[in-house]
Amino acid sequence: MATLATLKGLGRELRHNRVALGGFAITSFVLVAIVIGPSFSPYDPTLMDFTAILQPPSWAHPFGTNSFGIDVLTRVLYGARNSFMISFAGVSLGAIVGTLIGMTSAYMGKLFDAVAMRLVDLLFAFPIFVLALMLMLILGFGVQNVIVAIALVYIPNFARMARNTTMVVKSEPYVQAAQVMGQPRLRIMVREILPNIAAPLFVQFTVGLAFAIIIEAGLSFIGLGVQPPTPSLGVMMADGKDYFHRGPWVLTLTGLALMFAILGLNLLGDGLRDLLDPRLRRRSAA
Amino acid sequence: MGFLWYLTIRIGGALATIAAGSFLIFLIMHLAPGDPALAVLGESATTETIAAYRAEHGLDEPVLVQFVIWAKMVLQGDLGKSIALAGKFPISDLLVTRLPNTIFIGLYGLVIALVISLIAGTAAALRQGKLVDTVATGVAVLGISMPDFWFSYVLILFFALSLDWFPSYGFTPPGESLIGAFHSGFLPALAIAAPMAGVFARILRASLVETARREYVTAARSYGFAAPFVFIHYVFRNAIIPFVTVLGLQVRYLLGGVVIIERVFGIAGMGSLIVDGAFARDYPVVQACALTFLAIVLSVNLIVDIVCALLDPRRTR
Repeated sequence: MATLATLKGLGRELRHNRVALGGFAITSFVLVAIVIGPSFSPYDPTLMDFTAILQPPSWAHPFGTNSFGIDVLTRVLYGARNSFMISFAGVSLGAIVGTLIGMTSAYMGKLFDAVAMRLVDLLFAFPIFVLALMLMLILGFGVQNVIVAIALVYIPNFARMARNTTMVVKSEPYVQAAQVMGQPRLRIMVREILPNIAAPLFVQFTVGLAFAIIIEAGLSFIGLGVQPPTPSLGVMMADGKDYFHRGPWVLTLTGLALMFAILGLNLLGDGLRDLLDPRLRRRSAA
Repeated sequence: MGFLWYLTIRIGGALATIAAGSFLIFLIMHLAPGDPALAVLGESATTETIAAYRAEHGLDEPVLVQFVIWAKMVLQGDLGKSIALAGKFPISDLLVTRLPNTIFIGLYGLVIALVISLIAGTAAALRQGKLVDTVATGVAVLGISMPDFWFSYVLILFFALSLDWFPSYGFTPPGESLIGAFHSGFLPALAIAAPMAGVFARILRASLVETARREYVTAARSYGFAAPFVFIHYVFRNAIIPFVTVLGLQVRYLLGGVVIIERVFGIAGMGSLIVDGAFARDYPVVQACALTFLAIVLSVNLIVDIVCALLDPRRTR
């Protein structure tokens, strides 16, 4: 498998790219923290403690406590887990649908291509939060619909990228060979084309994941996304803004944690892009 | 065919997109739950008054016919009336007071982002691999990694609550006092500008570095032209084109940020209007706002295309 070899080569090069390495380290740390972190916390993310309301950051509560006396760091870990899963689901959905549209568009050409790409252009012309907001109006607020909104934002990105890369790959000799051998279209698209356009799509996925977390936070922050009591970083920041003057740490430290996670994903995306860009690779070799 | 032909095609494309986009908006609002007649007339409405209202406003017609009725009204400048907000004012009156505030904050933020990114991006590209570069690219990554609404609270904490240099809430419309608008709009504009400046600076740096490697730049140097001359006329002039293109693509993110920032700072603009409209399920308001946002994005993209065509005449061929 060509992809497996590429991934192994990527792993080797990753060690020599400081940006990618830093991004990989931060992202791994964040993932470990949100997966096993909550079980290590001595606090309960829902249990109210009215003897410890709005305590500023201390050794006992590194991120302080909120207006219900709940440890903010514990809630951040739980909330980040939700935020991450929501954006992962949303970007995955967008990537699958978008890639499917883009590949089909490039491979079929003609009318399908023309219609699909005009629709993609149209989606591209809407400010992201406006698109998401209108969608929430039809579907109602809540976790599933934030996922759909994120997917809708990302479908055009993936469709365009998949279409452009498929256009390049489909004239390669191995694709033509498969065509001459009479392989069915679907098989060619999945077995020959997809593995060869996967790398740039993967970079887009990493960076997309980062911005999707911001979209979720933004929608939930203005009250159009995830609804309390479900913890998400956006919901927690919205809560923190209500008593921002009395306890600014709830909003600021939650946001700082979110920024750290997004920074890791962005660095990882940047590093991978450099590694996968053949023009840059040649340059560093020279 | 040249510039005029290119212009005609681009304007035609933008008009077609806004037509298709307005139909999409109309369709979405049509699918949204709730009966507009009931929303306007209230709970006390009888079956007869509802039926009369539906007949009068063409609500029993097929979707396409309803869309044509709405589109005709919009073309005549009538965006309908608000159901829930602001005492059922005509929506066009609301837009007239709100749109200037959003445009002011948006442009203010864009200018700040441009100034920061031009300086940081150029400095980083000129001192590639040096400390300036490391700091600039590092700050740029931080800029694109933070939610702008979170950054606005950080700004409020430092510059409004601690230092008291700027107000933490409220906005003086530019029509009332221009100085007041620049002062009260500074923090929101800076919050919107930060992520954009990060994106712009990264693109500009990459584009400058890429262009500086081109053969015509080497050729210009070999003629013995002074380094600043080569940079301005050969490198910068060519590197600015992808920069302007990205600028156009960023409008949809810029306006997305405005939607939330306006609520944080209590600015009476389009963003807070569409969110208030969404909460009140005031569909005509949401519809009108979405259409306005679409029109803004398309006009900016049109302007960007024209600027790019002027910078790079090859595009019009």
